[in-house]
Amino acid sequence: MSLLLLNVLLALVWSALMGNFDPPYLLFGFVLGYFILWLFQKPPRTQKYFREVPLVIEFSLFFLWEIVVSNIRLTITILSPRPQLRPAVVAVPLDLKSEVGIVLLANLITLTPGTLSLDISSNKHTLFVHIFDLDDPEKFVKKIKNNYERRVREILE
Amino acid sequence: MAEYIILGIFLLGSFLVLVAGIGLLRMPDLFLRMSATAKAGTLGTGLMVLGAAIYFNEFAIYTRAIALIAFLFVTAPVSTHMLGRAAYFDGVPLWKGTIQDDLRGHYKVTTHSLEEEIVPEKDQPHVEDEVDAFEINK
Amino acid sequence: MMVEILWDVIFSFLAIGFISAFIRLAKGPHLPDRIISLDLISIMAIGFFVAYAVLYDQSSFLDVSIILAIITFLGTVAFAYYLERRV
Repeated sequence: MSLLLLNVLLALVWSALMGNFDPPYLLFGFVLGYFILWLFQKPPRTQKYFREVPLVIEFSLFFLWEIVVSNIRLTITILSPRPQLRPAVVAVPLDLKSEVGIVLLANLITLTPGTLSLDISSNKHTLFVHIFDLDDPEKFVKKIKNNYERRVREILE
Repeated sequence: MAEYIILGIFLLGSFLVLVAGIGLLRMPDLFLRMSATAKAGTLGTGLMVLGAAIYFNEFAIYTRAIALIAFLFVTAPVSTHMLGRAAYFDGVPLWKGTIQDDLRGHYKVTTHSLEEEIVPEKDQPHVEDEVDAFEINK
Repeated sequence: MMVEILWDVIFSFLAIGFISAFIRLAKGPHLPDRIISLDLISIMAIGFFVAYAVLYDQSSFLDVSIILAIITFLGTVAFAYYLERRV
């Protein structure tokens, strides 16, 4: 966390030295600061921050891709004269323990077009997800667990 | 050149908003409508805000646009989730084409809690049996 | 010329979206349906403001859309809370 702050500070310093606070400069400053921090790590060289940042970037790219793909599917479904709908409410068992992780997972599921997290059981073991076109419940649960939950866990735990 | 990129972004955004509106009108039950609107509408508006930020190209506008997009994307799932939960609890019926409903019978009306096991019949919220009047899959 | 036509297309998309949301607001068999159409209408209004801001080169319209976003969220949450506690 303090490394993140340091990185943001380095980006600000870079922008101040360049005399330009436009987003490209800030972004370049951030990349540069990341590289410098990576060079000057403490000896074990296995700090969490340097594993996290690539994971976060990979996750954001994956999530953007997922949004684009399912948005196209949803658009086709809505605009086609005879939409193919197989809505279902599926119970997804959770392995995540932390509340932040569960909130993040539920919000990501809701933001993906076509799926909607309805509720979580009171003991936080099961998430109920509504999906607009279900092929196979087991495949869907596996997809949520492998694609979303695994990544959220890698980032947070 | 930049003008055409902005126009393209705005076209895509307004098209997504249009899809959200049509989806809201055509989908047969509340939950399908929510999945159509919450995302397509938010994404479309978010894209348009991004286009505006690129158009004005000022630092103050960028920060405002980022704040607005972040706010939209943080609040949209929260309100959708709250409304979906409240609607299910309130007994809004699912469309009759729904192929699986794992949530049925898990709510306990007296405590407003969601139990892991099936709750006895008398504690469950009342669900209307009415099939939605606006069907599309005839 | 081309650009003006494209702007017309953008605004007509938004307007048609508005109209269908209003039809759902009038029809909506249940209260939650009406709430989500209100929610979508105000999100569309944000889009409208932003499009106007670019069309008329007035960046202050963006402030209006920020306020609208905040009020929309609070309104929807309040409605949802009311709906759940009503039972």
